[in-house]
Amino acid sequence: MRQFPFGSTQAPLSHPGWQIGPGLIIAGSLLALTIAGLAAMLWQAHLPEVAKLWQNRYLGNVIRFTIWQATLSTALSLVLGLLIALALARQPRFRGRSLLLRMMELSLVLPTIVAVSGLVGVYGRHGWLTSVVEHWTTVRWNLYGLNGIVLAHVFFNAPLAGRILLQALESVPAPRRRVASQLGLTGWWLWRTLDWPAVRRVLPGIAALVFTLCFTSFAIVMTLGGGPASTTLEVAIYQSLRFEFDFGRAALLAIVQLAICGAIWLFMVRRGLSANLSPQRSFSETIRRPDSQGITRLWDAALLVCFALFLLLPLAAILLQGLPGLVTVAVDGGTSLADLAEATLRSFAIALPAGAFSVLSALLVLALAGRGGPQLARLSSVATAVPLMVPPIVLGTGLFLLLRPSLGHSSQGLALVALINGLMALPFVTQLLKGPLAGLDQATAQQADQLGVLGWYRWRWLHWPRLKRPLALAMAYGTGLSLGDFGVIALFGTPGQPTVPVLLYQQLGSYRMELAAGTALWLLTLLLLVFATFNLPGYRKRKQSRHQNDALNTLAEARHA
Amino acid sequence: MLDVKNLTFRYPDTETTWRFTFQVDHGQCIAINGPSGSGKSTLLNLLAGFLTPESGTIHWQSRLLNDLPPWDRPVTSLFQEHNLFEHLDVQTNIGLGMHPGLKLSAEQKQAISRGLASVGMAGFESRMPGDLSGGQRQRVAFLRALLRDQPILLLDEPLTGLDAEARTQLRSLLLRHKAAGKVLVLASHDAEDRKILADKQLNL
Repeated sequence: MRQFPFGSTQAPLSHPGWQIGPGLIIAGSLLALTIAGLAAMLWQAHLPEVAKLWQNRYLGNVIRFTIWQATLSTALSLVLGLLIALALARQPRFRGRSLLLRMMELSLVLPTIVAVSGLVGVYGRHGWLTSVVEHWTTVRWNLYGLNGIVLAHVFFNAPLAGRILLQALESVPAPRRRVASQLGLTGWWLWRTLDWPAVRRVLPGIAALVFTLCFTSFAIVMTLGGGPASTTLEVAIYQSLRFEFDFGRAALLAIVQLAICGAIWLFMVRRGLSANLSPQRSFSETIRRPDSQGITRLWDAALLVCFALFLLLPLAAILLQGLPGLVTVAVDGGTSLADLAEATLRSFAIALPAGAFSVLSALLVLALAGRGGPQLARLSSVATAVPLMVPPIVLGTGLFLLLRPSLGHSSQGLALVALINGLMALPFVTQLLKGPLAGLDQATAQQADQLGVLGWYRWRWLHWPRLKRPLALAMAYGTGLSLGDFGVIALFGTPGQPTVPVLLYQQLGSYRMELAAGTALWLLTLLLLVFATFNLPGYRKRKQSRHQNDALNTLAEARHA
Repeated sequence: MLDVKNLTFRYPDTETTWRFTFQVDHGQCIAINGPSGSGKSTLLNLLAGFLTPESGTIHWQSRLLNDLPPWDRPVTSLFQEHNLFEHLDVQTNIGLGMHPGLKLSAEQKQAISRGLASVGMAGFESRMPGDLSGGQRQRVAFLRALLRDQPILLLDEPLTGLDAEARTQLRSLLLRHKAAGKVLVLASHDAEDRKILADKQLNL
């Protein structure tokens, strides 16, 4: 007979310190880094000058324009998102529905600068749609300025809002939807009894999220702003740092931005609106709604087709205009090809460490949340939310000011870009890993405890099988977000050593449109390659994984029931 | 001997305090009787170390168990369901009971195969729990408990929901286990199970 005690000494890394320590260090470092960056800004900002800021006409205009474009973009994104969500909820059998939903997912990963290139191809001075409209009508349209900024923001945020709202609409319990269907409720009463209560719960949260994203948007304003009249806070901070070397003003602007974004996020957290704001892939069972027939059906179909075209045309423009550009670069070779190859290597040199950093940090901080008690769970939650509260340019500014004296070699700047990119991806990566990592139910955990499956063994036998695929997806997200970044790199990078997004920006700025289209297509291809590569093991073992996932899902459902 | 003395427990924000006192010798089975919510599962969780008592003691062979974590206690639990890790095959599920890192010798692997054959499941090593019937799953869980070789077996409705044949087979396995000198603590609603397996009763 085996003598007890046993187990505790057998499992490597089973000491509680191993589960709490690394996460504590990471969470503490994240907060320390943020606080140090903000402190460096405060030190530079000379707070009494805040009053002067409001008297400065240019800066006043910048703040007003930032708020105005964000408000307009948010309102339009929400209205369009709601219309699309309602149409999709009414038409569960709409042909191409799943394809449209996939396209709506793209907004989470499509690099802004690539989308801008596609939008220019459709709505720009010589864009497809602009040419058609100007040929047949007297309407004149200028993409650059408020028009383009709002259009691009709606392109990115309406799909995001639409997916979250659709999820809310479809989360209405099936029995309630069946009752509405049986009673034949339509129009106002269906909206009043079924849709509005579901939408109302998430609407303030989405509004805050979209407003923050539009408020802190950088690449779109940089490329489509078109001049000083359309400058936002982010761009003004960038200009202060890069061109005017006015660190005090940059810090002051960053503080204004932080105050506004922080207030919005505080409002969201207080109201409990931050949870479940990222769209999920699965949708509930489809129950035919009484208002899905007749003229409504035609209207919905027309709306969904128009929306699909709205999303598809810029992507088609990237493909069709980019292909010749890419072929030209490949055939001609020379400096263009060398530039693209170098930029690609540089992008990966930043993106891969950034992805790995975000995944590792998320894992360690989540482990801290799971094993460390309520106070440490709160610390981990705050640490992973910090990048959402503190926009990249603000954090970047703080760290720039903090490290400026010692930042010498350009590789140090790139390392800093990788670090900040990793931090920016952290909230999304955490969201992806949170569920699978916390999925160990009480019965399984108790069994594992009794058998001494602790520490490394617990990770190997219980967590790893559940986390393999989410980890690959998280790595793809982390790497992809960094690969498409054109915010932090603009601040720390040097024009002579561009990443692919910076190269694209330079080509757009010098009106080398064919080259730019080729580079945009290349960046999109790289992104797809990243996602395909990290998900390859999943495809190879799809059958086995499906079996495992089915078993895990069944288990989870049984436990929840 | 398993000696439980004045063991008390109260769930947070509730009024009821449970108190347990009993003794069981080697090769004996004690049946815990009582309606739903009377504390049967709570007692088993206290013995396993999943819950911490407010007061009282648990001794095994004169050694105090109260402060030991679940993995250091000389017990194995067998529940009505959810005894197996659903994403791991039968051999891995059993093997984890023999070594928590699955570092098994050739002999131990053979023991698993022999054990499976002895419960009528030869060749089931690579099957997933989802492919097994309720009776087969309980036999795998029981085999893990057997090979884990702990002196106390905590049984929480282990035969509920099984068909007549599976019940009979598992009962005989439990009787053999008891005859080998192990202590069985059985929580069951079924009077027949209690009659066949138990040597003494504890009414809650």
